[in-house]
Amino acid sequence: MDEKTRQDLLKLFEGKLNQAMRLYLETCSRCGVCTEACHVYASMPQAKYIAAYRAEIVRRIYKKYFKSQGRFWPSLGQSKDLTEMALEELYEAAYSCTGCRRCMVYCPFGIDTQMIMSIAKLLLVGAHAEPEILTMLADTSIAKGESLEIFREGFLAGIKRLEAEVVAKWQSQAGDTVIPVDKQGADLLYVALAGAHSIIPAAAVFNAARENWTLSFFEAVNFGAFVGDPTRTKLILERIVGEAKRLGVKEVCICECGTAFRVMKQLSGPQPFQVSSITQVHARYIREGRIKLDPSKNPEPLTYHDPCQIARNAGVIDEPRYILQHLASDYRELAPEPIYNWCCGGGGGLVALGEETLDFRMKSSRVKAEQVRKTGAKTLCTACENCHTQLSDLNQHYQLGLEVKFLSSMVAEALVP
Amino acid sequence: MSQTIKADKTLDLKGLPCPMPVVKVSKGIKEVQVGQVLMAETSDPGALADFPAWAKTSGNEILDTVQEGNTVKFYIQRKA
Repeated sequence: MDEKTRQDLLKLFEGKLNQAMRLYLETCSRCGVCTEACHVYASMPQAKYIAAYRAEIVRRIYKKYFKSQGRFWPSLGQSKDLTEMALEELYEAAYSCTGCRRCMVYCPFGIDTQMIMSIAKLLLVGAHAEPEILTMLADTSIAKGESLEIFREGFLAGIKRLEAEVVAKWQSQAGDTVIPVDKQGADLLYVALAGAHSIIPAAAVFNAARENWTLSFFEAVNFGAFVGDPTRTKLILERIVGEAKRLGVKEVCICECGTAFRVMKQLSGPQPFQVSSITQVHARYIREGRIKLDPSKNPEPLTYHDPCQIARNAGVIDEPRYILQHLASDYRELAPEPIYNWCCGGGGGLVALGEETLDFRMKSSRVKAEQVRKTGAKTLCTACENCHTQLSDLNQHYQLGLEVKFLSSMVAEALVP
Repeated sequence: MSQTIKADKTLDLKGLPCPMPVVKVSKGIKEVQVGQVLMAETSDPGALADFPAWAKTSGNEILDTVQEGNTVKFYIQRKA
């Protein structure tokens, strides 16, 4: 690595050094409590998968370049040069961590390994050593924000074709716009994913609740966050913020996508609208009597996987359980305390990397598969597309014999007319 | 127009979870030579928005889109 590149990367590193980050980098006492907290280590016990070990790679580069001891007496401190080899170690650390933050809730100091890994990911982006698929996906999202006209008509035509499916199954009122798009004065902007499965059931529930809603032109997922690039993350986020402001909505409802919800909720700053997950919105409709569900539709034992980015990292824990009280007659918890639930193993961009990460994802999530199997459930539902894909892969790999479903689709299926 | 376009490779992307349609079309285009055509068939409305944006950022060209029932076929020429 040439000196200019190193200096450029160190500037990126320095930009991440706020008070909290310095605390995380200087506090670890090597107590080892985080060791068994990581699903990767618990499934594949190797030192490189210990949360503190991952963080230590970043921590030693920090000591080398940002602490006096490392700068003047590197041989005395545990410091590390920023080299090509260090970048390879950072890659393995960052992309074997799903950012689930289970280690953080066990750590006596609350050290946020995911935050530390965000330095690793940023250095990889700066060195053009990140997974290029994630950057490509982020750039595609940004291009959509810059050029609505290149897909507007095609998208509207595609949405129109979905309306017949909503009407056929859920009998929307004649004369209503079944899937409104670009509706000025709507109360709620629903931000979905690319798939029809993310739009059709949601439309059925919004219409059943008589919501004044509109569908976003943009997909919810933020690949800038997956790849750890703050600039791309912001550009992707701003597309939705801009659309929400233009339409004058009071609420932005994020579909079943954990990262999308956490990023919009925690990084969009003060806005003239509130941010909700679709799970929160559905719970509210039930509470207010705007929709009614038939629990007899789900007589089999059922369990729910809390997506890390929605539950542990964004606090949506009670709402799915409230929905499930109205949706299932034999609900079984995966973990005694939802905050300690195992990650599915697909976060941090690993699912988006597809078959490239499949073997690692299956091996590193053995504990998750065992946790699910122990419930005896016949149905496993969740509220995140990433988790759904990963859990479906686990279901097949470990022959769990389950049906993996989206919670929002189950709500739509159980609607009482 | 598409009746005269011959696809050198085809991809069935119907019903794939996010973000696989774009991931697979991005990988698929690298499996044809520059100047050749990839045909990608999708049923997802989001892909109708994603593919033109992906083509713009990747420098490839969508020659034609053809709707057949609930699916849309994209004919994409590799440019670089």
